[in-house]
Parts: sequence; C-alpha cells; structure tokens
Amino acid sequence: MKILTTVKRVVDVELNIHIENGAIVEDGLQYVINAWDENGVEAAVQLKENNNAQTTLVSIGEQDNTDMIRKCYAMGIEDAILIDDPALVAPDAFAYAGILQKVYEKGDYDLVITGKQAQDTDSGQTGIILAEYLQLPCVSNVISIEVMDEAHIRVSRLGDSGTEIVEITLPAVVTVSDSINEPRLPAMRGIMMAKKKKIQVMDLAALGTSVEAVGGAAPKSEVAEFMKSKTRQAGQKFEGDAAQITAQVVELLANEAKVF
Amino acid sequence: MAKILVIADIKEGVLKGSTAELLSKAKALSAQTAVVAIGSNIESLIADMAAAGSDTQYIADDKSLELFSAGPYAACVVAAAQQFEADMIWFGFSEAGKAAAPRVAAQLNAACATEIIDVTLEGEQIQVIRPAIAGKVIQRIQVNTQTLVAVVRAGAFEATPGITGTQNMVKLSIPAPDLKAVIKQILSDASGEIDLADADIVVSVGRGARDQAGIDLVRELARDLSAGFGSSRAMVDGGFMAHNKQVGQTGKIVAPTLYMAIGISGAIQHLAGMTGSKTILAVNKDPEAPIFNVADYGIVGDLFEVIPILRQEIKKIRG
Ligand SMILES: Cc1cc2nc3c(=O)[nH]c(=O)nc-3n(C[C@H](O)[C@H](O)[C@H](O)COP(=O)(O)OP(=O)(O)OC[C@H]3O[C@@H](n4cnc5c(N)ncnc54)[C@H](O)[C@@H]3O)c2cc1C
Repeated sequence: MKILTTVKRVVDVELNIHIENGAIVEDGLQYVINAWDENGVEAAVQLKENNNAQTTLVSIGEQDNTDMIRKCYAMGIEDAILIDDPALVAPDAFAYAGILQKVYEKGDYDLVITGKQAQDTDSGQTGIILAEYLQLPCVSNVISIEVMDEAHIRVSRLGDSGTEIVEITLPAVVTVSDSINEPRLPAMRGIMMAKKKKIQVMDLAALGTSVEAVGGAAPKSEVAEFMKSKTRQAGQKFEGDAAQITAQVVELLANEAKVF
Repeated sequence: MAKILVIADIKEGVLKGSTAELLSKAKALSAQTAVVAIGSNIESLIADMAAAGSDTQYIADDKSLELFSAGPYAACVVAAAQQFEADMIWFGFSEAGKAAAPRVAAQLNAACATEIIDVTLEGEQIQVIRPAIAGKVIQRIQVNTQTLVAVVRAGAFEATPGITGTQNMVKLSIPAPDLKAVIKQILSDASGEIDLADADIVVSVGRGARDQAGIDLVRELARDLSAGFGSSRAMVDGGFMAHNKQVGQTGKIVAPTLYMAIGISGAIQHLAGMTGSKTILAVNKDPEAPIFNVADYGIVGDLFEVIPILRQEIKKIRG
C-alpha cells in the first residue's frame, strides 16, 4: 500500500497574534507543523510499521518547510516532496487541492491522508475537495484506520450521532481527527538520519501544471481583512471560603446574569 | 432577489432549531428561501420546515438515506441547489455539513466557507465573517464567485419570532448509494442525556475531576439543571467521556446561555468551542488558570468541595 500524506506549515496557535491594518503582523510569529497533519503522519507511519505501507509526504510552501519535513522523516516517513513555486501566493483550498491532485497523479498511491483541517484557516476543505477532484471515496474526521485487505480499509469517524464505521474501497482519501493517535516524539537516531535524507523539490511546471491551471491566480474567495477577535473580558473571580464565595456567585448568576 | 437554500437539520425525526435560525437570517437578507431535507421518513416534517421560514421544500426521503453518507447527501444538496438556482447554500453546524459542504462547492464550482458567523450581501457581492487560528483572529472573506457554500457556526444567527413560510414540496430523485465508502454501523453514544447543541445550560468537566467519581459528582450538577453534560478532551482521551461530549475545536461548538467549566484549564482549543456562550462560570483550584480570562464568574477552589455547595445553593434559588 502506498500512502501520500500532506503536511502544512502553520502559525503556532499557542502564541499571541497581533493585527495591524487588517493584516497579521509577521514579526514574532512562529511556525509549526499543523497539529492534525502531524496526526496524519503518525497514522501513515503506523500503517508502515504494521502493514508494510510505503509513506510519502507532500508539503506545499517554501524552503523553510524543510525543518518540518525533517521532523516527519524523523517520525518515520520515507519520502518527501516539497512543492515550492514563487507564483503561489496565498492559495485557497481549491488551489491546494488542484496541486495535490497533480502530485497524486504522478505517484501510484492507494491512500491519501490529510489532517481534518489546518490550524491557520480552520477551514477543513482541502482533503475533501481533493477527493472530489480525483473522484475518489472520502471519509472525513477519521479516528481509526484498519487495513482489511489490499483493496479495503475500515475506518471509524466521529459523526453527529456517534461513531460511524465505514468500509472504503481503495484508492481513497481520509482526513483525520486529533483523536486518532498521539504523534510520537522522534528518537535521536531518527533525527540524525533525517538530516541526511533528500527532499524532492518541485515547482508547478515540474508537476506539469501552472498557477492558473490549479486556480491559484483567481481564488474563489480571499481574506479581505483580518480582525482581532472579540476577546471576552475576564469577569469577577472569587477566592476564599468555598461556602461563602459559591453562595455569592450563585446569587450573581441569578440576579445579575439572570440565568436561573 | 438572492436565493438561499438551507439544509434542514434533522435529528432523530425532529427538525432542529438551527434550521429556523438560518432561514431567519436568509429572510433578513431579503432572500427567497428553500430547504433541502435528506433522510428517511421525513416527509411528515414538511409543515415544520415551512413554519421554520422556508417557501420551498426539496425532499429526498428514502430508506437508503437513513444513515449519513457524504456522497449521496452532497448529491441531494447539489440537485436542490441547481433546481432552485441558489446563490447561497447554507449548512448548519454539524459533522454532516462539514463533510458535505466542500463536496457541494467543488461540484458547483462555488466558493466554500466554513464556520461562518456572519454574512453580508451587497448587490451580488457576498462577504462572510468567520473566526480562524483557533478563534484568535476574525477573517472577513470576499467571495469571488456567484455561488457560496457555507457552514454556519452554532449560535451565529437567531430565529425571528413569528417567522413563517409556505408549503411547497418538491421531491428529489434518490441518488445511488456510495459503494466505495459504505457505512456499516453507527455506534451511538446516545446516553439519554440532553444534546449539547440543544442545551440552554452546559456543564463541562475537565481533568480536574480526576476519575469516574469526580465525573459523577459533576454530572449530578448537570442533572439538577437539566443541562447538557460536556467535557474537555482530556476526559475523552482518558476514556471517561464519550467523544460526542467533547467541547472545543475538535468537538462540539456550543453557545448556551450558561456554560460551566469545572476543572478545565482553558486551553485555546477548548476555548474555541465555548467562548460564544452568553455567561461563563469557571471552577478551578488554580487562580492562574487561563479559563478565568474568559469567565464572567470564577470560583477559585477545589471542585470536590465547591460542587456540592453549588448544587445546594442553586436548589435554594431555583426551589
Ligand atoms: C489539534 C488539537 C485539538 C484539540 N481539540 C480540543 C478540543 O476540541 N477540546 C478540548 O477540550 N481540548 C482540545 N485539545 C486539547 C487541549 O489542548 C487541552 O489539552 C485540553 O483541553 C485540556 O483539558 P483539561 O482542561 O480538562 O485538562 P488540564 O489542562 O490538565 O486542566 C485541568 C485543570 O483542572 C484544574 N484542577 C485540578 N484539580 C482540581 C480540583 N480538585 N478542583 C478544581 N480544579 C482542579 C487544574 O488547575 C487545571 O486547570 C486539542 C489539542 C490539539 C493539539
């Protein structure tokens, strides 16, 4: 089984984000691997270890994606492709999916694993649109993957009224939730080996496409403005005798907030 | 006049309130409204769908649509959107909506925006507002296509009192089942407890409750209040709470009148699921816990001591 797993480099959500004139201030930002993609990488590596799958990773971005890719090598990914093209400016999910479609078609993959969403946009579209473009079956929000035979996997996904068990005929696309696994911390030996591994860098021409062809030149939607989110104000905090402060808070809930 | 198609949110044979909320917003934009309803044995809900504010009801009612499958579900929405010539297609917040919306957009060559909290329409120009980066920023998105497919965040719009519509049922042809992704079973985690999405009050429990005994203690509080009983991811990962109880970025987004965070630290991913609540109460023994930065009322204390008192005091007030 050949697996293609996608990883995006995103802004670290744990740090503060400042906005000026409708844009995010780059200064002081840090970038990390998208957490859900890291779950995808872990899932791919587990399939390698348990089911002899071959693992290829693809990332779309710039040279500074290489640190993240090396981390994935250290986790156990075998091959990596970096799509780096200066013509790509702020691609939307459709453009990402268009590029991934070309990457998919160049390989002979049985399964594509993406994170269920990226932490910078929180959109959750790319993997699903990719499947539409490729006319492949797709299951999103997956929390387990089990290989049935060479042509079938059984997955479970979190649905609206419970855990849905779905049997999928390969090739297919799945998007994974963080509930699927706990990504491993790479061992020292893996980290050392990852340093020496090659990363295949391609631009869109090498992929046999162009920014126009993937819809990157005319996005279907674009961010016109970033704004600060309305942060809630910290309210009243009570410390001291539990009986006394709890009674006080209940009184406020009833008479000030009027929730009871 | 713009045309807005709303996907009817039906659960266990009941039309959920979010349908009327989305239709109310559509009417506020002076749009022509329709719903598309997909499932099994749902024709009886036509009157409810009209009463919720729709003027046309596209119905795909078939045994084969009983269990959610994203492919056929999206096919029904696409068919309705094409017949109605919809400018916008709105899903309520649900896993079904999140799975189907990008498919529908790809098939209609439309733009797609998830988790939207507002939408404006000036002439033909559509813009939406949505949070991103775990709720740390808000984006204003300009839509460059004629058609937009959107998933609306829970609690974004309010139902207009007295909203009505007209009954005009249009039957859709039933799509072929997806033979390449076959849903075999749903392991329902129905616990007989109130659905978080419907609850007026949500009580959520975190790692501070430690174990089953701690959870049971907090659940009693939720029972007293007829509240939804939710959880942080820590207690789901720990195997104490079902997945569908998780509140946060990966779980449910809730916006109740009152949210009680009991023994929850307030990680950014948890906050992303509950800061839309009207009033927030936090109980945490650590005065520096980030949950206090978003709580209207904070009790610094040991939950094992505080919860019994809280129950007693609430009983006194509510009688
Ligand atoms: C990609 C991703 C997605 C995620 N999605 C979600 C999500 O959807 N929802 C979610 O909740 N998390 C999510 N998380 C996890 C999140 O980062 C936190 O790890 C999690 O929310 C912590 O849960 P907690 O607050 O219960 O536990 P902790 O952070 O361990 O906090 C426990 C709190 O209990 C307090 N406490 C301890 N004992 C007591 C006591 N006796 N009385 C009172 N207070 C006490 C402590 O002071 C502490 O503040 C996600 C993480 C990632 C990376």
